[in-house]
Amino acid sequence: MHSTSSADEDLADVERVLAGDSEAFAGILRRWQGPLVNMAWRYCRDRHRAEDLAQEAFLRAWRGLAGWRRESSFSTWLFALAANVYRSELKRIPSVNVPFEEIHEPAMPATQYTAAAEHRQQEALRRAVLALPIRYREPVVLYYFHEMDVAAAARTMGLPEGTMKARLARGREMLRRRFPQLGDESGSAAVSTFHIGKEALR
Amino acid sequence: MNHKSDHEMKLEAIDRILATEDELVPSQGFLAAAMDRIREEAATPPPIPFPWKRALLGMLPLAGAVGWAIYEAIVSVPSQAGNFVLRLPSLSAAQVHSLEDAGWVAIALTASFCSWLASRQLAGRSGLL
Repeated sequence: MHSTSSADEDLADVERVLAGDSEAFAGILRRWQGPLVNMAWRYCRDRHRAEDLAQEAFLRAWRGLAGWRRESSFSTWLFALAANVYRSELKRIPSVNVPFEEIHEPAMPATQYTAAAEHRQQEALRRAVLALPIRYREPVVLYYFHEMDVAAAARTMGLPEGTMKARLARGREMLRRRFPQLGDESGSAAVSTFHIGKEALR
Repeated sequence: MNHKSDHEMKLEAIDRILATEDELVPSQGFLAAAMDRIREEAATPPPIPFPWKRALLGMLPLAGAVGWAIYEAIVSVPSQAGNFVLRLPSLSAAQVHSLEDAGWVAIALTASFCSWLASRQLAGRSGLL
């Protein structure tokens, strides 16, 4: 995901910032704005809020830059810090207020498959992730954000890999049960009318 | 067997959908806005640290005064170890007065300590400490 040259650039920028050159933080911002905004987006699925959250994470990173002990890579430290910010901010003001049990698939499957239906199905599933209980939500979010790398997701959450795997398995299983027609051979036809609570589709 | 493959198929479908997501490109002003906040933060003078040295210098005489008050209170109360029963010793007006003073000092110190603890707790939560 991140090259060695990027790691070197991070280190150089951090050194400059710590030496008093605050403008050097722009380099860090430029390299990490995309990942941090995308990570925040997966936590809340609200573009405006994702940028606010990412900005807050960068500010906390700036304040705590001296606290990076170089034992882990800069990206690991930054992601863990961002995850903490997103978690606490979203605990304060949740992005989805629909309980997971209220997200359901309608009994009547549609007969026609359309690309729009497939898109709706995918969006419903992505939003269902946000309605998962907090214990399972974050492992699921981070696992897919880290391109299905359990170790990276565990590092970001500061959890042992075994715990991460267990929570991830439970979260994916809850999603599978909530979306029983997903991946059926009858195509995604059945899901054209996937339904999710109005609030969840905001 | 068939059920298991169906189960796996569904999990694969979940993986496929959740792993493939369009990249969100930060808005044009994001970097500039974030940098503005950083500059603002950099321009803010660092918080003034609590002057522990001076505070300790002030606290030492105070602690001495409290110790003295406690000593006075103990010494001025006549020792009645022999007839230790559940009755209050008869105290002179001066003795009662010094005991009262010691009590007030103790209350004031407890209140100060509690407010110091509460302020530290609040500052810690807000990330100031």
